[in-house]
Amino acid sequence: MSGRPVRRFVDGLLQGRRIARARPDDVEAQEMKTAIEMRAARTGSDSPREDFVTDLHRRLAEQMGDAPQGESRSSWGPSGTRRQVVIGTGLAAASAATGIVVGRNLLAPPRAPTEASPPAQGVLDPNAGAWHAVGASADLPKGGAMAFDLGSVNGFVHRADAKVEAVSGVCTHQGCKLWLDAPDSRLRCPCHSTSFSLEGETVTHQLPTAPPPLPKFEVREINGVIEVLAPTKPA
Amino acid sequence: MTDASYPDWDAVYRDNVSWVYRLMYSKVGNQPDAEDLTAEVFMTALKPLRVSATVPEVRKYLKMTARTVLASFWRDRMGRQITTIDDDVPDESEREVLESDAPDRVRQVLTTLPERYRRILELRFLQAFSVREAAGQMGVSVANAKVLQHRAIQMAAQMNQEAL
Repeated sequence: MSGRPVRRFVDGLLQGRRIARARPDDVEAQEMKTAIEMRAARTGSDSPREDFVTDLHRRLAEQMGDAPQGESRSSWGPSGTRRQVVIGTGLAAASAATGIVVGRNLLAPPRAPTEASPPAQGVLDPNAGAWHAVGASADLPKGGAMAFDLGSVNGFVHRADAKVEAVSGVCTHQGCKLWLDAPDSRLRCPCHSTSFSLEGETVTHQLPTAPPPLPKFEVREINGVIEVLAPTKPA
Repeated sequence: MTDASYPDWDAVYRDNVSWVYRLMYSKVGNQPDAEDLTAEVFMTALKPLRVSATVPEVRKYLKMTARTVLASFWRDRMGRQITTIDDDVPDESEREVLESDAPDRVRQVLTTLPERYRRILELRFLQAFSVREAAGQMGVSVANAKVLQHRAIQMAAQMNQEAL
Protein backbone atom coordinates (compact mmCIF):
# COMPACT_ATOMS: atom_id res chain seq x y z
CA MET A 1 0.00 0.00 0.00
CA SER A 2 1.38 3.35 -0.94
CA GLY A 3 1.67 6.08 1.60
CA ARG A 4 3.90 8.85 2.69
CA PRO A 5 6.33 9.09 -0.26
CA VAL A 6 3.45 9.66 -2.65
CA ARG A 7 1.75 12.19 -0.36
CA ARG A 8 4.96 14.15 -0.06
CA PHE A 9 5.51 13.95 -3.79
CA VAL A 10 2.01 15.19 -4.56
CA ASP A 11 2.23 18.04 -2.04
CA GLY A 12 5.44 19.24 -3.64
CA LEU A 13 4.00 18.89 -7.12
CA LEU A 14 0.91 20.93 -6.28
CA GLN A 15 3.11 23.62 -4.74
CA GLY A 16 5.21 23.80 -7.89
CA ARG A 17 8.39 22.65 -6.19
CA ARG A 18 11.24 20.59 -7.56
CA ILE A 19 10.85 16.87 -7.28
CA ALA A 20 12.52 15.57 -4.10
CA ARG A 21 14.49 12.34 -3.90
CA ALA A 22 12.59 9.17 -3.01
CA ARG A 23 12.73 5.46 -3.69
CA PRO A 24 9.20 4.52 -4.79
CA ASP A 25 8.04 0.97 -5.46
CA ASP A 26 6.05 0.01 -8.57
CA VAL A 27 2.68 1.10 -7.21
CA GLU A 28 4.01 4.38 -5.89
CA ALA A 29 5.81 5.10 -9.16
CA GLN A 30 2.55 4.63 -11.05
CA GLU A 31 0.77 7.02 -8.67
CA MET A 32 3.50 9.61 -9.09
CA LYS A 33 3.24 9.32 -12.84
CA THR A 34 -0.53 9.80 -12.68
CA ALA A 35 -0.10 12.87 -10.47
CA ILE A 36 2.40 14.39 -12.92
CA GLU A 37 0.06 13.84 -15.85
CA MET A 38 -2.81 15.46 -13.99
CA ARG A 39 -0.71 18.43 -12.95
CA ALA A 40 0.64 18.88 -16.47
CA ALA A 41 -2.90 18.79 -17.87
CA ARG A 42 -3.72 22.09 -16.15
CA THR A 43 -4.44 24.56 -18.91
CA GLY A 44 -1.95 27.24 -19.69
CA SER A 45 0.76 26.25 -17.25
CA ASP A 46 3.23 24.81 -19.73
CA SER A 47 4.66 27.85 -21.48
CA PRO A 48 8.29 28.62 -20.70
CA ARG A 49 8.88 31.81 -18.71
CA GLU A 50 10.25 34.57 -20.83
CA ASP A 51 13.01 35.29 -18.30
CA PHE A 52 14.06 31.67 -18.49
CA VAL A 53 14.15 31.66 -22.30
CA THR A 54 16.21 34.87 -22.32
CA ASP A 55 18.59 33.68 -19.63
CA LEU A 56 19.21 30.30 -21.24
CA HIS A 57 19.86 32.06 -24.53
CA ARG A 58 22.56 34.13 -22.81
CA ARG A 59 24.14 31.04 -21.22
CA LEU A 60 24.16 29.23 -24.56
CA ALA A 61 25.72 32.25 -26.25
CA GLU A 62 28.55 32.09 -23.71
CA GLN A 63 29.00 28.38 -24.29
CA MET A 64 28.96 28.76 -28.05
CA GLY A 65 31.43 31.64 -27.87
CA ASP A 66 29.03 33.84 -29.75
CA ALA A 67 27.64 37.30 -29.14
CA PRO A 68 24.17 37.09 -27.59
CA GLN A 69 22.43 38.52 -30.64
CA GLY A 70 24.86 37.29 -33.23
CA GLU A 71 22.34 36.16 -35.78
CA SER A 72 24.31 37.72 -38.61
CA ARG A 73 27.65 36.57 -37.21
CA SER A 74 26.83 32.94 -37.53
CA SER A 75 29.64 30.45 -37.65
CA TRP A 76 27.34 28.16 -39.58
CA GLY A 77 27.43 30.05 -42.81
CA PRO A 78 25.74 33.06 -44.32
CA SER A 79 22.44 34.03 -42.81
CA GLY A 80 19.62 36.31 -43.71
CA THR A 81 19.14 34.83 -47.14
CA ARG A 82 15.60 34.61 -48.30
CA ARG A 83 15.55 30.83 -48.06
CA GLN A 84 16.47 30.81 -44.40
CA VAL A 85 13.98 33.48 -43.48
CA VAL A 86 11.24 31.52 -45.18
CA ILE A 87 12.24 28.35 -43.34
CA GLY A 88 12.14 30.07 -39.98
CA THR A 89 8.69 31.43 -40.57
CA GLY A 90 7.30 28.17 -41.91
CA LEU A 91 8.46 26.11 -38.96
CA ALA A 92 7.01 28.48 -36.46
CA ALA A 93 3.70 28.58 -38.28
CA ALA A 94 3.43 24.83 -37.85
CA SER A 95 3.13 25.29 -34.10
CA ALA A 96 1.01 28.42 -34.23
CA ALA A 97 -2.17 26.71 -33.06
CA THR A 98 -0.51 25.67 -29.83
CA GLY A 99 0.84 29.13 -29.21
CA ILE A 100 -2.52 30.76 -29.60
CA VAL A 101 -4.28 28.39 -27.27
CA VAL A 102 -1.65 28.88 -24.62
CA GLY A 103 -1.72 32.63 -25.01
CA ARG A 104 -5.44 32.83 -24.47
CA ASN A 105 -5.69 30.45 -21.58
CA LEU A 106 -2.85 31.63 -19.42
CA LEU A 107 -3.92 31.64 -15.81
CA ALA A 108 -0.82 33.58 -14.88
CA PRO A 109 -0.72 37.30 -15.64
CA PRO A 110 0.81 38.08 -19.01
CA ARG A 111 4.52 38.59 -18.91
CA ALA A 112 5.62 42.02 -19.92
CA PRO A 113 8.78 42.42 -21.95
CA THR A 114 11.78 42.69 -19.66
CA GLU A 115 13.95 45.04 -21.67
CA ALA A 116 14.69 48.20 -19.77
CA SER A 117 14.23 50.48 -22.74
CA PRO A 118 12.27 49.00 -25.64
CA PRO A 119 12.85 50.58 -29.04
CA ALA A 120 10.75 53.67 -29.62
CA GLN A 121 7.52 53.39 -31.55
CA GLY A 122 7.87 55.04 -34.95
CA VAL A 123 5.25 56.64 -37.14
CA LEU A 124 5.03 55.35 -40.67
CA ASP A 125 6.07 58.22 -42.91
CA PRO A 126 6.11 57.28 -46.60
CA ASN A 127 8.03 59.43 -49.10
CA ALA A 128 4.89 59.83 -51.12
CA GLY A 129 1.78 59.37 -49.03
CA ALA A 130 -1.91 59.96 -49.49
CA TRP A 131 -4.99 59.62 -47.31
CA HIS A 132 -6.86 56.40 -47.90
CA ALA A 133 -10.30 55.63 -46.56
CA VAL A 134 -10.31 52.48 -44.42
CA GLY A 135 -13.84 52.51 -43.02
CA ALA A 136 -16.78 54.48 -41.69
CA SER A 137 -16.56 56.23 -38.32
CA ALA A 138 -19.90 54.70 -37.43
CA ASP A 139 -18.45 51.22 -37.75
CA LEU A 140 -15.83 51.87 -35.12
CA PRO A 141 -17.39 52.28 -31.69
CA LYS A 142 -15.43 53.44 -28.67
CA GLY A 143 -13.06 50.66 -27.62
CA GLY A 144 -13.58 48.88 -30.95
CA ALA A 145 -10.99 47.86 -33.51
CA MET A 146 -11.00 46.79 -37.15
CA ALA A 147 -8.57 45.57 -39.74
CA PHE A 148 -7.72 47.29 -43.00
CA ASP A 149 -5.64 46.28 -45.99
CA LEU A 150 -4.51 48.86 -48.51
CA GLY A 151 -2.29 46.54 -50.52
CA SER A 152 0.99 48.30 -49.81
CA VAL A 153 0.30 48.30 -46.09
CA ASN A 154 -2.17 46.71 -43.73
CA GLY A 155 -3.05 47.35 -40.15
CA PHE A 156 -5.68 47.89 -37.49
CA VAL A 157 -7.55 51.02 -36.47
CA HIS A 158 -9.06 51.36 -33.04
CA ARG A 159 -10.86 54.05 -31.10
CA ALA A 160 -9.36 54.89 -27.72
CA ASP A 161 -11.50 57.48 -25.95
CA ALA A 162 -12.54 59.79 -28.73
CA LYS A 163 -9.37 59.54 -30.76
CA VAL A 164 -8.80 57.08 -33.57
CA GLU A 165 -5.39 55.44 -33.83
CA ALA A 166 -3.90 52.97 -36.33
CA VAL A 167 -0.95 50.61 -36.16
CA SER A 168 0.77 48.33 -38.64
CA GLY A 169 -0.59 44.78 -38.96
CA VAL A 170 2.78 43.14 -39.55
CA CYS A 171 4.77 41.57 -36.72
CA THR A 172 8.07 43.39 -36.14
CA HIS A 173 9.88 40.09 -35.56
CA GLN A 174 9.71 38.24 -38.87
CA GLY A 175 6.88 39.90 -40.73
CA CYS A 176 3.98 37.52 -40.13
CA LYS A 177 0.52 39.04 -40.45
CA LEU A 178 -1.12 39.78 -37.11
CA TRP A 179 -4.70 38.86 -36.35
CA LEU A 180 -7.16 40.77 -34.21
CA ASP A 181 -8.12 39.04 -30.99
CA ALA A 182 -11.01 41.39 -30.31
CA PRO A 183 -12.21 39.95 -26.96
CA ASP A 184 -8.72 40.42 -25.51
CA SER A 185 -7.99 43.66 -27.38
CA ARG A 186 -4.77 42.14 -28.66
CA LEU A 187 -3.02 41.81 -31.98
CA ARG A 188 -1.51 38.35 -32.09
CA CYS A 189 1.24 36.95 -34.26
CA PRO A 190 0.59 33.43 -35.62
CA CYS A 191 4.30 32.68 -35.85
CA HIS A 192 5.82 32.98 -32.37
CA SER A 193 2.87 33.88 -30.10
CA THR A 194 3.99 37.47 -29.81
CA SER A 195 1.14 39.83 -28.95
CA PHE A 196 0.75 43.58 -29.19
CA SER A 197 -1.73 45.98 -27.67
CA LEU A 198 -4.06 47.85 -30.01
CA GLU A 199 -1.76 50.83 -29.43
CA GLY A 200 1.11 48.76 -30.86
CA GLU A 201 3.10 48.10 -27.67
CA THR A 202 4.65 44.64 -27.35
CA VAL A 203 2.68 42.85 -24.63
CA THR A 204 3.85 39.24 -24.59
CA HIS A 205 6.49 37.30 -26.49
CA GLN A 206 8.56 34.13 -26.15
CA LEU A 207 11.62 35.40 -27.96
CA PRO A 208 15.02 36.02 -26.44
CA THR A 209 14.59 39.75 -27.04
CA ALA A 210 11.35 41.73 -27.28
CA PRO A 211 10.33 42.67 -30.82
CA PRO A 212 9.94 46.45 -31.28
CA PRO A 213 6.49 48.00 -31.03
CA LEU A 214 4.33 48.30 -34.15
CA PRO A 215 4.75 51.46 -36.24
CA LYS A 216 1.78 53.83 -36.09
CA PHE A 217 -0.08 55.37 -38.97
CA GLU A 218 -1.31 58.91 -39.11
CA VAL A 219 -5.10 58.76 -38.99
CA ARG A 220 -7.88 61.30 -39.41
CA GLU A 221 -11.67 61.30 -39.48
CA ILE A 222 -13.38 63.42 -42.08
CA ASN A 223 -17.12 63.48 -42.74
CA GLY A 224 -17.68 60.16 -41.03
CA VAL A 225 -14.84 58.42 -42.87
CA ILE A 226 -11.65 57.12 -41.24
CA GLU A 227 -8.56 57.78 -43.33
CA VAL A 228 -5.02 56.51 -42.96
CA LEU A 229 -1.89 58.12 -44.40
CA ALA A 230 -0.34 55.38 -46.57
CA PRO A 231 1.94 55.20 -49.61
CA THR A 232 0.38 56.38 -52.85
CA LYS A 233 -0.41 53.53 -55.19
CA PRO A 234 2.26 52.86 -57.83
CA ALA A 235 1.24 54.34 -61.14
CA MET B 1 11.59 21.75 -46.65
CA THR B 2 12.80 18.33 -45.53
CA ASP B 3 16.40 19.06 -46.41
CA ALA B 4 16.35 22.61 -45.06
CA SER B 5 18.77 23.37 -42.27
CA TYR B 6 19.02 26.05 -39.61
CA PRO B 7 21.28 29.06 -40.26
CA ASP B 8 22.88 28.93 -36.78
CA TRP B 9 22.50 27.73 -33.19
CA ASP B 10 20.45 30.78 -32.37
CA ALA B 11 17.79 29.71 -34.86
CA VAL B 12 17.83 26.16 -33.51
CA TYR B 13 17.24 27.50 -30.03
CA ARG B 14 14.49 29.96 -30.92
CA ASP B 15 12.58 27.44 -32.94
CA ASN B 16 12.74 24.56 -30.50
CA VAL B 17 12.96 25.90 -26.97
CA SER B 18 9.19 26.07 -26.51
CA TRP B 19 8.40 22.49 -27.42
CA VAL B 20 11.37 21.09 -25.52
CA TYR B 21 10.21 22.96 -22.42
CA ARG B 22 6.60 21.80 -22.89
CA LEU B 23 7.74 18.24 -23.36
CA MET B 24 9.81 18.36 -20.18
CA TYR B 25 7.02 20.07 -18.27
CA SER B 26 4.60 17.34 -19.30
CA LYS B 27 7.05 14.78 -17.92
CA VAL B 28 7.91 16.36 -14.56
CA GLY B 29 4.89 18.61 -13.87
CA ASN B 30 6.82 21.47 -12.27
CA GLN B 31 8.51 24.58 -13.58
CA PRO B 32 11.95 24.55 -11.84
CA ASP B 33 12.77 21.01 -12.92
CA ALA B 34 11.37 21.56 -16.42
CA GLU B 35 13.60 24.62 -16.78
CA ASP B 36 16.71 22.79 -15.56
CA LEU B 37 16.05 19.88 -17.90
CA THR B 38 15.39 22.15 -20.89
CA ALA B 39 18.64 23.99 -20.20
CA GLU B 40 20.51 20.70 -19.98
CA VAL B 41 19.12 19.54 -23.31
CA PHE B 42 20.33 22.63 -25.14
CA MET B 43 23.64 22.87 -23.28
CA THR B 44 24.33 19.23 -24.21
CA ALA B 45 22.95 19.21 -27.73
CA LEU B 46 23.96 22.46 -29.38
CA LYS B 47 27.73 22.16 -29.35
CA PRO B 48 28.12 18.83 -31.15
CA LEU B 49 25.32 19.57 -33.60
CA ARG B 50 26.39 19.12 -37.21
CA VAL B 51 26.32 22.24 -39.34
CA SER B 52 24.57 20.44 -42.16
CA ALA B 53 21.88 18.73 -40.07
CA THR B 54 18.41 19.18 -41.53
CA VAL B 55 15.54 20.54 -39.48
CA PRO B 56 13.95 17.11 -38.88
CA GLU B 57 17.35 15.70 -37.93
CA VAL B 58 17.89 18.51 -35.43
CA ARG B 59 14.46 17.90 -33.93
CA LYS B 60 15.02 14.19 -33.66
CA TYR B 61 18.41 14.77 -32.10
CA LEU B 62 16.95 17.21 -29.57
CA LYS B 63 14.26 14.73 -28.69
CA MET B 64 16.74 11.91 -28.21
CA THR B 65 18.85 14.18 -26.02
CA ALA B 66 15.74 15.09 -24.01
CA ARG B 67 15.01 11.41 -23.58
CA THR B 68 18.47 10.70 -22.15
CA VAL B 69 18.44 13.80 -19.93
CA LEU B 70 15.04 12.87 -18.48
CA ALA B 71 16.09 9.28 -17.87
CA SER B 72 19.16 10.28 -15.89
CA PHE B 73 17.10 12.86 -13.96
CA TRP B 74 14.71 10.14 -12.79
CA ARG B 75 17.50 7.70 -12.00
CA ASP B 76 19.06 10.33 -9.76
CA ARG B 77 15.84 11.40 -8.02
CA MET B 78 13.89 8.15 -7.79
CA GLY B 79 16.26 5.35 -8.74
CA ARG B 80 13.89 4.45 -11.57
CA GLN B 81 12.02 6.02 -14.49
CA ILE B 82 8.72 7.60 -13.49
CA THR B 83 7.93 9.06 -16.91
CA THR B 84 9.65 8.51 -20.25
CA ILE B 85 9.87 10.17 -23.63
CA ASP B 86 8.72 7.71 -26.24
CA ASP B 87 10.86 6.82 -29.18
CA ASP B 88 8.09 6.40 -31.71
CA VAL B 89 8.33 9.50 -33.83
CA PRO B 90 6.52 8.87 -37.07
CA ASP B 91 7.09 12.44 -38.23
CA GLU B 92 9.57 14.66 -36.48
CA SER B 93 7.55 17.79 -37.02
CA GLU B 94 7.06 20.10 -34.10
CA ARG B 95 3.35 19.40 -34.01
CA GLU B 96 4.01 15.72 -33.72
CA VAL B 97 6.44 16.19 -30.89
CA LEU B 98 3.98 18.33 -29.00
CA GLU B 99 1.07 16.02 -29.40
CA SER B 100 0.50 13.85 -26.41
CA ASP B 101 -2.48 11.80 -25.40
CA ALA B 102 -1.80 12.50 -21.72
CA PRO B 103 -4.40 15.29 -21.25
CA ASP B 104 -7.03 13.16 -22.99
CA ARG B 105 -6.16 10.20 -20.86
CA VAL B 106 -6.39 12.33 -17.73
CA ARG B 107 -9.85 13.47 -18.72
CA GLN B 108 -10.90 9.95 -19.52
CA VAL B 109 -9.65 8.59 -16.21
CA LEU B 110 -11.35 11.42 -14.32
CA THR B 111 -14.74 10.62 -15.82
CA THR B 112 -14.53 7.03 -14.68
CA LEU B 113 -13.78 7.94 -11.05
CA PRO B 114 -16.47 8.19 -8.38
CA GLU B 115 -17.85 11.74 -8.19
CA ARG B 116 -16.04 12.86 -5.04
CA TYR B 117 -12.70 11.49 -6.22
CA ARG B 118 -13.09 13.21 -9.56
CA ARG B 119 -14.03 16.47 -7.89
CA ILE B 120 -11.10 16.61 -5.48
CA LEU B 121 -8.63 15.91 -8.29
CA GLU B 122 -10.17 18.54 -10.56
CA LEU B 123 -10.12 21.14 -7.81
CA ARG B 124 -6.57 20.43 -6.70
CA PHE B 125 -4.78 19.52 -9.92
CA LEU B 126 -6.65 21.23 -12.73
CA GLN B 127 -8.02 24.30 -10.97
CA ALA B 128 -5.16 24.92 -8.53
CA PHE B 129 -7.27 25.22 -5.37
CA SER B 130 -5.53 24.76 -2.01
CA VAL B 131 -6.56 21.80 0.16
CA ARG B 132 -8.45 24.21 2.40
CA GLU B 133 -10.32 25.81 -0.51
CA ALA B 134 -11.09 22.44 -2.07
CA ALA B 135 -12.37 21.13 1.26
CA GLY B 136 -14.57 24.23 1.57
CA GLN B 137 -15.99 23.73 -1.91
CA MET B 138 -16.80 20.11 -1.19
CA GLY B 139 -18.13 20.72 2.31
CA VAL B 140 -15.66 18.36 3.99
CA SER B 141 -12.90 18.85 6.57
CA VAL B 142 -9.33 19.53 5.47
CA ALA B 143 -8.22 16.16 6.84
CA ASN B 144 -11.02 14.53 4.93
CA ALA B 145 -10.03 16.30 1.71
CA LYS B 146 -6.45 15.06 2.10
CA VAL B 147 -7.60 11.47 2.48
CA LEU B 148 -9.96 11.82 -0.48
CA GLN B 149 -7.18 13.24 -2.60
CA HIS B 150 -4.81 10.43 -1.77
CA ARG B 151 -7.35 7.69 -2.40
CA ALA B 152 -8.40 9.38 -5.63
CA ILE B 153 -4.80 9.36 -6.89
CA GLN B 154 -4.46 5.69 -5.96
CA MET B 155 -7.58 4.81 -7.88
CA ALA B 156 -6.67 6.98 -10.88
CA ALA B 157 -3.25 5.33 -11.01
CA GLN B 158 -4.85 1.89 -11.01
CA MET B 159 -7.14 2.85 -13.87
CA ASN B 160 -4.22 4.34 -15.74
CA GLN B 161 -2.36 1.09 -15.45
CA GLU B 162 -5.32 -0.99 -16.52
CA ALA B 163 -5.81 1.22 -19.55
CA LEU B 164 -2.30 0.40 -20.79
